[in-house]
Amino acid sequence: MRRGRILAIKWGMNPNSSSLGVDVTFLLVGATVLAAVTPVIGALLRWRRSVAVEPAAPRPEEPA
Amino acid sequence: MRCGLDAAGAIVERARAARAHPPRRSRLERFGAIVQLTVPRALVFVDRAFARRVGLAGRRDVAGLAAEPAIWAEPETAVGDVPLSAPLEAHLQLTNRCDAGCRGCYTGASPGGAPGEWGLAEWRRAIDQLADAGVFHVALGGGESAVLPWLGELADHARRRGIVPNLTTSGLAGLERLLAICDRFGQINVSLDGLGPTYAAVRGFDGFARADAAIRALRRVKREIGINVVVTRANFAELDALFAYAARHRLSEVELLRFKPSGRGARAYDELRCSDAQHRALLPAVLAAARRHAVRVKVDCSYTPMLAHHRPDRALLAELCVYGCTGGDFLVGAKPGGQLTACSFAAPPPPAAGGARPQITELGAYWDAPGAFGAFRRWRDAREPCASCEYHALCRGGCKVVSAHVTGDPSAPDPECPRVVDRGGRSGTRPRSLPVL
Repeated sequence: MRRGRILAIKWGMNPNSSSLGVDVTFLLVGATVLAAVTPVIGALLRWRRSVAVEPAAPRPEEPA
Repeated sequence: MRCGLDAAGAIVERARAARAHPPRRSRLERFGAIVQLTVPRALVFVDRAFARRVGLAGRRDVAGLAAEPAIWAEPETAVGDVPLSAPLEAHLQLTNRCDAGCRGCYTGASPGGAPGEWGLAEWRRAIDQLADAGVFHVALGGGESAVLPWLGELADHARRRGIVPNLTTSGLAGLERLLAICDRFGQINVSLDGLGPTYAAVRGFDGFARADAAIRALRRVKREIGINVVVTRANFAELDALFAYAARHRLSEVELLRFKPSGRGARAYDELRCSDAQHRALLPAVLAAARRHAVRVKVDCSYTPMLAHHRPDRALLAELCVYGCTGGDFLVGAKPGGQLTACSFAAPPPPAAGGARPQITELGAYWDAPGAFGAFRRWRDAREPCASCEYHALCRGGCKVVSAHVTGDPSAPDPECPRVVDRGGRSGTRPRSLPVL
């Protein structure tokens, strides 16, 4: 089975009620550091794999 | 040493809060899934194979065959190829009441507020709808929502429904009430557009001392306190000093917002908007300040053209979720009377066929309606110079609110984008006040 990959990470939370803020601090350190951090996040997610499945919201055309 | 203790304390507090009110942990998407982490705080976008691997795709049947989720019946997409199944976050303008009278206020807030403003019961129903849709976070604002006597109750309700409430405040009113309930929010940012007299130069009145006092008071009782800075030509030269201020007060972040010609801001736009030279200098200036003062920096979605100007690695931008206009996709807004909008600066979108303009409580039904969110979802129909820009899939044409104001057409390329300026696409400096949609 393909191992799969992390596509993107949106860091932090956005308190700004008028637009979407994204953390660009990683632009300081570049792709190398992000490439080092991503496997750590992946390991964290796998460690949490026992979490309950939460399906996406039912679509209008699908029965709930 | 002190920073390390702060970080450790924040981790413990977040873990405790997540145990008391577990936030939504995941949501399936066409590309795979989005998973929320509380330590560190992040939304992680993973492909289908990864989602299967961490158990998000349901159980295998007795024959060992996995029952694929219905949302995966269509071919797997990349992030951004199609709208998400629901917004990541909703921006709720709980009230338009505010006594400050800032000359650039994007909502034109006033002491009297807006007609037909919702109360706690209506906003609780909105939170329920957002939770059912799978929204992760809400950003609460106004007007000045800190003065609302039921703000804490609404934040509690959001937590109970698995949504993390975040807040922006001016710090000019409602501070005592906010201090008592600030633990209920994930992140609180105080608007601070300048230090000392610069604050007045941007906002039109001297409110620095009160905002500063609010920041200090909030920081004494909560770690996740930051500042929002609307970047204008009046405070651009002071950005480094604002980062120094954030470092001095051990704030968790500086969030930089582009000035939008919306509300009273439409009248002040020509005077306050940054110059083209300032837009081109923004990214190096803020990264240097963030490095010098060791403070995290966020920029709002409308700054993506100014980031793209420096030709950063596109893959890195995508991995950091740096997108331009994601109104009606990654985010939605709601006006004080509950009217659904693509973003807080936009007018309510056109009604779905045969219906009325949608309310935030009708998000689920409106989200997939044909033509939903108008121009905000039609960013692929770009003209030059966006159509041939290698950053277009990320930038999405820049800020539609600025385009609508300056050119009269929300689908026009962002007239403040350096690439558009270089191609002679700026259509003059005399703004027209036209609706966004």
